[in-house]
Amino acid sequence: MTNTLTRIREAFDGAGVTGRLHALDIDSGAEVGASADHPVVTASVHKLCLLVALHQQAAAGRVDLTEQIECPPAGRTPGPTGLAAMLDPVRMSLRDAAYLMMAVSDNTAADLLLERVGLDAVNHTTARLGLAHTHAVYTFGETFGTIRQDAGPGGPQALTDPYIIARLRALDPVRTNHSTPRDMTRLLAAIWRDEACAPAHAAAIRRLLGLQVWPHRMASGFPFDDVHVAGKTGSLPTVRNEVGVIEYPDGGRYAVAVFTRATNTAATFPPADAVIGTTARIAVEALRAL
Amino acid sequence: MNLFRHLECFVAVAEESHFGRAAARLSMAQPPLSQRIQRLERELGVRLFERSSRQVTITKAGTLLLDEARELLARSEALMATARRIRDGESGLLRAALPPDIPGETVAAILADFRQRYPGVELELRELSTTEQLAQFASHELDVGLIHHPCDVSGLELGPVLRREVGVLLPRDAPAAALAEVPLAALTGYELILFHRAAAPALHDDVLTTCARNGYSPAAVRHGQGASFVRGLILSAHAVAFSPRDAHPAGAADRDPDVIWRPLAEAPLAWRHSLAWPQGRSDTVVSAFAEAATHTLRNTTAMSADPPPRPLHLRPAAEYWL
Repeated sequence: MTNTLTRIREAFDGAGVTGRLHALDIDSGAEVGASADHPVVTASVHKLCLLVALHQQAAAGRVDLTEQIECPPAGRTPGPTGLAAMLDPVRMSLRDAAYLMMAVSDNTAADLLLERVGLDAVNHTTARLGLAHTHAVYTFGETFGTIRQDAGPGGPQALTDPYIIARLRALDPVRTNHSTPRDMTRLLAAIWRDEACAPAHAAAIRRLLGLQVWPHRMASGFPFDDVHVAGKTGSLPTVRNEVGVIEYPDGGRYAVAVFTRATNTAATFPPADAVIGTTARIAVEALRAL
Repeated sequence: MNLFRHLECFVAVAEESHFGRAAARLSMAQPPLSQRIQRLERELGVRLFERSSRQVTITKAGTLLLDEARELLARSEALMATARRIRDGESGLLRAALPPDIPGETVAAILADFRQRYPGVELELRELSTTEQLAQFASHELDVGLIHHPCDVSGLELGPVLRREVGVLLPRDAPAAALAEVPLAALTGYELILFHRAAAPALHDDVLTTCARNGYSPAAVRHGQGASFVRGLILSAHAVAFSPRDAHPAGAADRDPDVIWRPLAEAPLAWRHSLAWPQGRSDTVVSAFAEAATHTLRNTTAMSADPPPRPLHLRPAAEYWL
């Protein structure tokens, strides 16, 4: 196990990131941790908590997932994908908005759902699942608002300036939405064991996690047709995260949470994306060798 | 119970032998003063005053405690005063760090500038790499330092980014040495001498990426940092090295018969620095050191502000948008 941790640390160092990781064998409870209890900025990973809260409300009959919602073009939370990138009025069901939120990290869809569910309910959900170090203080739109305020007039380009990066509240776990790697694997294990909500709803959540389109992070560590990868990413300037579950054909199921901060401030920085897959693979192989 | 506030009441009543006058001196009403004395008596388990309807007399026990109470109050005032002086920068200790590659003249100038501003502050200056500084910030052993970018700045506050122009050291007989400014592509065929990747992985990779993007992909990268070792490799191994302009002041360039420094065309490479200190632990003295160092570095090493940022095309996988 010492060797595993050394390899994980070397991989993080090699990619030029500070990384925190927790991996959990969902059935045996065996684990691998590298700073697994360190507070981390969740960014869009928090959309998973929102999705669980939404399904809990649906299971309790307070929300109808097939209800149609209107999304006019004005006032959308900004983002490069999904509703956030579309130009015309949209009408769709709550559960299809949830699909966009999980598949392409659609910020507009996420804030529409958050408006319906409420930040308090999201925090209530995570607290009841025993995620004591997980808390959301901002909607996704509000998070971008703090970045705009802290970055000043320079726009997105200012976000490659280390001076600006050091000033962003959105990158300080104390002052923004946060969790720990261990809390996130606990959440994933609860979803995979049907403990987070009723089985039909847990299955719907697992389906959406499996429909995420990004191949560059956790999935890149498992380039096998017979291995199933389901996850949710989270990104902000210098922050690259993913939490997910890896399922092997022999039935092995592993929840993995990787949170990174890159020293390089470039927005496009593939080594930091790839190391999430590399370290997840090292951790899962160590768990499978036990 | 705030012991010092209560001892103040005790001393005042003892000296005035009168609750009313003591209360007036302390700018408080009499009933809370009486309550404080009673509370202190309970806390100490000793009766301090005998009260009659007309007067207050200190007890023997009270007399025995009075001197020590006065002494404690005096010490507490001295402590507050020292804290005030440290906060305002009149005295104290500042633990500061500079990286090893800052020229000696610059180090001396920073020290002189700071001493002039804060003669009462003892400055403990250390030579530390960025990695060492980050570790010492985390363990509360360092107050302020000059770091190399890029590094993990979480938990730190930074001063403005200072850019230090980097040029190339090459053999005097190399064809590129004849150019006033050397394009990176002109270094093709030479090996590169660079610091160890472990010292700063992100910067190491950044340098090689910039070289490759500008048409220079060295056949081999040799690791070395010491000036004479680097010089030896340049002379013997058909290699070049990057070095900041301030390490090669004009005029000095002609002294070395074999190795010459040239600026790079369009300045594609730079070492970038910032003064850094842990979030929320800044005070007058830390700010003064940061200012002195920034000011000195700008003047003596020709550090400049970063050039305007290049275009940035966020891709959909970035997930954020402003």
